[in-house]
Amino acid sequence: MIKSILIIMLSSILVNNFVLSRFLGICPFLGVSKKVETALGMGMAVTFVMVLASIFTYLIQKLILVNLGIEYMQTIAFILVIASLVQFVEMVIQKTSPTLYQALGVYLPLITTNCAVLGVAILNIQSEYNLIETIFNGFAAAIGFTLAIVLFAGIRERLEISDIPEVFQGFPIALISAGLMSIAFLGFSGLVK
Amino acid sequence: MNLFKIIKNGIVDENPIFTQVLGMCPTLAVTTSAVNGLGMGLATTAVLTMSNLAISLLRKVIPSKIRIPAYVVVIATFVTIVGMLLKAYVPALDKSLGLFIPLIVVNCIILARAESFASKNTVASAAADGIGMGLGFALSLTLLGSVREILGAGSIFGFMIFGEAFKPAIIMILPPGAFLALGMMLALFKKITTGKKNKKAEIQSAS
Amino acid sequence: MKNEIVKLGIILLIITAIAATLLGFVNQITSPVIEEQIIEANNIARKSIMTEADSFELIDEDFGPSILEVYKALKGNDVIGFTIKTSPKGYGGDIEVTTGITKDGKISGVSLGTMNETPGLGAKAKDAEYINQYTDKPVDNHIAVIKNGTPSENEIIAISGATITSVAVTEGINSSVDLFNEKLQ
Repeated sequence: MIKSILIIMLSSILVNNFVLSRFLGICPFLGVSKKVETALGMGMAVTFVMVLASIFTYLIQKLILVNLGIEYMQTIAFILVIASLVQFVEMVIQKTSPTLYQALGVYLPLITTNCAVLGVAILNIQSEYNLIETIFNGFAAAIGFTLAIVLFAGIRERLEISDIPEVFQGFPIALISAGLMSIAFLGFSGLVK
Repeated sequence: MNLFKIIKNGIVDENPIFTQVLGMCPTLAVTTSAVNGLGMGLATTAVLTMSNLAISLLRKVIPSKIRIPAYVVVIATFVTIVGMLLKAYVPALDKSLGLFIPLIVVNCIILARAESFASKNTVASAAADGIGMGLGFALSLTLLGSVREILGAGSIFGFMIFGEAFKPAIIMILPPGAFLALGMMLALFKKITTGKKNKKAEIQSAS
Repeated sequence: MKNEIVKLGIILLIITAIAATLLGFVNQITSPVIEEQIIEANNIARKSIMTEADSFELIDEDFGPSILEVYKALKGNDVIGFTIKTSPKGYGGDIEVTTGITKDGKISGVSLGTMNETPGLGAKAKDAEYINQYTDKPVDNHIAVIKNGTPSENEIIAISGATITSVAVTEGINSSVDLFNEKLQ
């Protein structure tokens, strides 16, 4: 049991990193990663939402959708759960840490459209994980996302003060850097037999 | 607004990928070949057009306070329908696009157009906008997919165009290739559009 | 204030209910078609590795965790062989390997289903050039994977640069061979 959890975590954080190899969560990856602090804050908010979303979507799938034979409602049900969770997290952050709330700004409600959150919910069901494995996979996916986004923010802070040809400024050079990071993470393949 | 102008706007002036830089997740993930890019583009166009239509039809009925969840339910419904139709009638495409078909629901392009255009315009304009943006998305995806397929597998739409001797750069169809290809194309696009802008400015200052 | 929230909630519920009805309707139409597709695909896979058979019958027994399903291949009323589906772990995830073994102990063919191997490397396992190596091999021994040279009767050559995929596919076939030798003779 512990072994399978460790493998799941290693896989979702490094080998199949959600951003750099599964391409989930690219929009916030490109949008919020200009400063390391905001990136870290975003990562933590996403972690919170992803773990809770993994639990709730799992329960809804097993207890309601499968029992009533309405699996085709999965997309609607899941996205509504995620949207409500994000609203909830927004209220919690607003009350407990107004500075973080300010810093994340409009990116907080955008977690709803973060494909990584819906993606991990669907993947949990597809991989037929039990509840414990689902929780750890959701957690690991979020850690992987945070890792990628924070590393990337570090790189982008450096890029801001470098001399880059005009046509490459902004997104082009960001994407190329992400490509190089992705190549680096390819090195982890084969780690999980 | 003239309907053709709206469509052209979506394809060129406000191209979702090259100008607005939205909808990145599917762009990078499914463009491993030209046909995958085209398939995803068309599926998204279908969802976008239908959701724009529905939201424009319902725009006077949906209360502003719950408009985002309402849009999301409408979009999710069409995504599920398109997903079911693909699974039943084009299973090969369903297999290659996989997880990204249900993920069309979180493609920021669709929610963005719903919020900024469909909810404020007539049904005909909204439909035209859906078609325009969708085609712009589809064309860009097909282009990116073709580039990655040519460089990474030596073929286009499955037809081998180079001989046996061509050793493809496999990295192009792996994840890093997506980032690199898109980055280079964005830079190229920027160069072309700034070139045009400079020419226009030159002509204007000269006249 | 509370009334407003209830009112908004009800409107959202109505929209969702309409959506659910629409989806239920489309589901009615498409789900039988989808089931047909899956059955067709499996039939085609089985037929491709046991061309002599005209029908297949499921053997409804649990053969253990590594065996997914076993079918009897029939020509008329005679059992001419078996198709055995396994799911060994490859480089990028599980690989669906269906092995056809004739009653007199020869591999009639191998078909690969869903797999996530590296395009240009492991994915080449599906190419005829690689997968046909297993055809007509005897099942008296396990098949071994060698990297180069001339393969003997119980050996095949791995895909250059994709040893893990080649070994995984062979593992799936060997599990099928074991099952045949132990239980199906």
